[in-house]
Formats: sequence, C-alpha cells, structure tokens
Amino acid sequence: MNLTTLAARKKALRFLFEPVVDKLGYKFTPVEEDADFLLEAEVSFEEKYGMPYCPCQARTRDRAENMKIVCPCIPFHREHFDAMKRCWCGLFIHKDVSDPSTLKQIPPSKFRKP
Amino acid sequence: MKKVKMYTLSTCLWCKRTKSFFEEKKIPFECVDYDKADEVEQERIMAEMRKNGGGGSFPYVCIGEDVVQGYEPDEFERLLDCKNK
Repeated sequence: MNLTTLAARKKALRFLFEPVVDKLGYKFTPVEEDADFLLEAEVSFEEKYGMPYCPCQARTRDRAENMKIVCPCIPFHREHFDAMKRCWCGLFIHKDVSDPSTLKQIPPSKFRKP
Repeated sequence: MKKVKMYTLSTCLWCKRTKSFFEEKKIPFECVDYDKADEVEQERIMAEMRKNGGGGSFPYVCIGEDVVQGYEPDEFERLLDCKNK
C-alpha cells in the first residue's frame, strides 16, 4: 500500500468511526501520534483480513470471538472500557477525559462488573 | 534478578512501550510476538494467558511468578524493586 492510499484509508476509518464512538460517549485520543500508529495497524489488518481489528488484542481461530475485537469494539466490552474511560488500545477515550496519560489499562482479569 | 518474559503483538502500541520500558532500564527479557508465532505456538500462548486469568489482551508480562497484563510501568517497577531488594 502506498503512502497516499494509507493516508486516505486512515482518514476513511476516522470518518467511519467518529460518529459511532460519539454516540457511545467516546472520542479519538487527542494524542495524534498514538492515533496514527493505531490506525495504521488497523488499515493493515483491513487490507490483510478485511476487518480493522484491534491492534492490541489477539485474533484466534474463533471467528465469533474475533468479531468482538473489530474496531470500534466498545459495545462488546462496554462496562470494562467505561471503567477504564478508554478502550484497550487507547484509540478512543471517554468524552469527559482531556488527558489520556492519566488513564490506565485494567486487565480483564481484574475488572469486576459492577 | 527476576526473569522477565512477555507476550506481545507487533501491532500493539502498549507492547512497544512495554518493550521500551525494559530496554531503557537495561533489564533483559524474553519476548514472543503472538502475531508472528505459528498456530501451535499461538494456541500455547493463549492457553497460558487464559490459565492465568487473562484474555487475549496484550501486552502480557511475567515478572518472576507475577503477571501484569497491560502497560503498567508503576507495577513493573514495583515488582522489579521487590526482587532487587
């Protein structure tokens, strides 16, 4: 994929994701370098597998489980991500957060549903 | 020094930062990129992660007998300090 196509695809993913995550109470991380890195990984997954999977969660041979990590995967992990105020990879943060560096990843094993 | 082993994804931002954390502190570690491993190795890694209560979220860092899932520099420091004392 050339740089022009890559940039266009990253822009397209932003365009597609923004209204979806907005309705879920999230927004893109303001750290552009992080967003760019994560979107670039998603573009590569989209090109290779047809889906923009989360760059920080593993795909397995279980298709149903894999569908739960297609970005934006917030609806499948809503309570967990709401507790962290971010998604696992950090591409999205809660709308009420201005500094994502204050947010921590909470391992799924340590997250207890309220 | 405690043995440090980690499972990572080559596409993961936090895995990259986790590796940098240990590299900058010159702490040796073993690392396997899950997405670069063959299917048999992937299944072994996933079974190990699930056995310890983790799902498929990376990075997954073993410091001695302890496991840290996610990029948690404070926790890395704490576990390493405990060992070095």
